[in-house]
Amino acid sequence: MASSLLAWCRARPVSLTPAAHVRHYAKPADANAGDTRLILIRRALYPGNIRNRASPTGTWRPDVRQTIQRAIPSVQAHHTIERAWLLHRRLVRKRREAELARKFECMKNAMDELKRVDSRLYSEANKVEDPRARSKVEMEKMKQLPALEARAFDARVRGLFPREMRIPAETPSKNGWNYEWKPIERPL
Amino acid sequence: MSRLARRCERLSRNLATVASDPLPSTSSPRPPRPSSKPILYSSVILNRAPILTPSPTTFERAFYAYQQRIRRALHNPFPSEFYFKQGSLLEARFNSEERFREKVAWGPTYAKEEDLSPEAKAAEQAAMDQMALQEKSDDKLMPRVHPSDEARDYHSLDRKGRRNIYLIIQRAAEDGQLVWEFPQGQPVEDELLHQAAQRELYAHCGKNMDTWIVARKPIGMYKPSIPTTTSTPTPEAITFFFKGHIMAGQVNPEKFVKDFAWVTKQEIETRVRRAYWEGVKDMLSDH
Repeated sequence: MASSLLAWCRARPVSLTPAAHVRHYAKPADANAGDTRLILIRRALYPGNIRNRASPTGTWRPDVRQTIQRAIPSVQAHHTIERAWLLHRRLVRKRREAELARKFECMKNAMDELKRVDSRLYSEANKVEDPRARSKVEMEKMKQLPALEARAFDARVRGLFPREMRIPAETPSKNGWNYEWKPIERPL
Repeated sequence: MSRLARRCERLSRNLATVASDPLPSTSSPRPPRPSSKPILYSSVILNRAPILTPSPTTFERAFYAYQQRIRRALHNPFPSEFYFKQGSLLEARFNSEERFREKVAWGPTYAKEEDLSPEAKAAEQAAMDQMALQEKSDDKLMPRVHPSDEARDYHSLDRKGRRNIYLIIQRAAEDGQLVWEFPQGQPVEDELLHQAAQRELYAHCGKNMDTWIVARKPIGMYKPSIPTTTSTPTPEAITFFFKGHIMAGQVNPEKFVKDFAWVTKQEIETRVRRAYWEGVKDMLSDH
């Protein structure tokens, strides 16, 4: 009795998924069983859930042991490379932080000096503007302009980043810098 | 601090002898009062932000290649039947590119050669050529180094795409010498400093530039040290700098501007006066 139980336990592990829960999408696609595209999508999205393999989507390449040994020279080398990378990132970060600290120091000194010299200009410099507010001059200007130009004029909001500021890219644009830009009159 | 204390002592002693006023001077040292109200100037540091991403260093490239090889050794099988239609040209091209990438990663002698017959190889090559013909387009990527970099054209806004470049102008100073500095001027009455900066920029460089003065607050100041002479005390001149960005257009210099240049921080150091440089260098971006 016990021996047969032990034998059953030691037998090949049987999947514990009940029959109703087994997904059949992972079966190889049959050419004439409906739209092959849908079958392929289902196979990609729903890998088989019968747990009889190490990974449902397949495991690594067959010669993974030799390949990994070819990629990584040794454990010590790998750790050294890792530490060198972290050190490099740390140096870059420290440089960036030092530059920001210097810039902030400059700004602080300038504001302290302005406060010492002229309190009206200092308080004006510290004023926080509401970006939604349009000054009287701007409202007058907008009434005179045609609709599209008024929208272009209104789009540049004081205190917000302009839309025309571009982020850096891998390669420059084909036309290069726009030297023929026509000015829009904006009150200061 | 000791110099201030001594000056206060002298002052109090003088007061005592002249006015015989028993009022004691304040014990705390006062800051030295300027001879008259300082003259304020507004200046603009106009920056063209980098157009290009920074290039990876040799170490970074080597590290990324190392990490890619590890991923290539470890990754799970690629679901080729999901991404490519079986037997299509695209799949053939992908397979041949993948074989090339494996050779590059592990060396040409590592992988065991697939038994591709010469006919199969020729067929694959023909398929790739056909694909290249179909997909041929004139969209070439522009090189990261612009011709104005080689030509050392300091007026060009395409130069040094990876760096921050700043506008400096050359004008005639009071003593007749030509000096390089950032565009600056005095605010008129009732004008705020950042408005004065914008106006001065237009006055020096024309309005053909899409500029944006970032904030109302200055990012730095320059105060040249006044030579201590016994002649009439000159008021100190303080220049406040405002950060600006240029997005389009070009400088159209006025008559009194002899020359202008779009230069990096290191190039500014070689042109500008030493004292000015010391006052300005911490406001500029290193890269």
